[in-house]
Amino acid sequence: MPVRIVNLKVNGVDQAFMAKPETTLLLALREQLGLTGAKRGCAQGACGSCTVLLDGAPVVSCLVPAATVDGSAVATVEGLADGQELSDVQQAFIDGFATQCGFCTPGMIMSAEALLARNPDPTADEVNEAISGNVCRCTGYAPIVSAILDAARRRRDRAGQEATR
Amino acid sequence: MLTEVHVPDDVSAAVRLLAGGATAIGGGTCVLPWLNDYASPPTELVSLRRAGLSGIRLHGDTVEIGAATTLAQVEHDDRLEDLNAVVRSIASTPVRNLATVGGNLFARQPHGDLAVALVALDARVTLVDETGSRELPVEELTNGAGLVTTVTFELPRPGTFRYVKAARRRYNSASLVTVAATVTEEEGTVTGARIALGGVGPRVIRAHAVEAALVGQELTADTVRAAGEAGRGEIEPADDAYASAWYRTRVFPVHLRRALLGH
Repeated sequence: MPVRIVNLKVNGVDQAFMAKPETTLLLALREQLGLTGAKRGCAQGACGSCTVLLDGAPVVSCLVPAATVDGSAVATVEGLADGQELSDVQQAFIDGFATQCGFCTPGMIMSAEALLARNPDPTADEVNEAISGNVCRCTGYAPIVSAILDAARRRRDRAGQEATR
Repeated sequence: MLTEVHVPDDVSAAVRLLAGGATAIGGGTCVLPWLNDYASPPTELVSLRRAGLSGIRLHGDTVEIGAATTLAQVEHDDRLEDLNAVVRSIASTPVRNLATVGGNLFARQPHGDLAVALVALDARVTLVDETGSRELPVEELTNGAGLVTTVTFELPRPGTFRYVKAARRRYNSASLVTVAATVTEEEGTVTGARIALGGVGPRVIRAHAVEAALVGQELTADTVRAAGEAGRGEIEPADDAYASAWYRTRVFPVHLRRALLGH
């Protein structure tokens, strides 16, 4: 069975690993690189718990053969914090009690990060649409949507403060 | 189980590999779910991600979309306003960033809503195999016909394209009934209609009887109801996890009316 070396820039760091044909991006992140934030939920692309950013765009990493994305940049939940300081989205999830069991949280957060990068001032409905591929089986959607709106506010406030400084 | 994932750099290499029996994937969002159980064939994949088939080009009113263009690229292209909404009705953002236009043509019903729209737009595909290339209407495309490299269609005149997808939820749900239509009118009378249906059959259905019932008529509640009656004979809905065949048959005329009359 052919095994190949795949190169990825993961959270800003160049990484190389051996990939078998059935090695998905999710499997590589979790088992080769030790990044277990992205979760294997359904392995069908339906639950979103494996969501990571591939070249800036959120994707279900369980459906991506690793060999097909050689040379790409990947961002996972592990790369969001700056040292001990969590990202706005992460902190807003904690402050707003937006996690219950936590299994969906990394995927939710990556979908939220992608939304806010594109749209700094989303409506609640735009948040709903952005996380429509992320299933929370604790069904705690209301605090998740609130936390994402809160994170957007925090980020806009900080941008405003920096602009007036 | 997978034995090889090829990532060819051009179309001719992809065609060679496909001729050897491998299966093409665009974003993999239809094929990988089958493979992730480690049991289902196929065992050898050809990814089209690097084959130079991505991109949207306009030549006048003619749109040419590369087969490996993602649904997300179509969603965010301002030149394709009619298709922006079609694509947003399909799956979710993390799937649309992978799923491709070419792949959607082979998505099993009740998925494949973009294919429904493309049939209504009278789109054509370019197919390549080892003997050369040829064109085919999307409507006549079958599995194994060759490698789809591009999808081409004429931009519809403003206001002539209609699209309604009924689903269990507003976002990220498979079709109960999808109606895509291109309807031209002159002085209030329908002069041309191409109507395609999703969610109500084992494949995208071109609704010839509905079209025939509308041409020469005004679009009114009565004529659209009659067209819906005519269409009941050409749909072949099935029971699935989303809805029963009975329900789909029952609500098909409602969604046809919403597509054609807007209410």
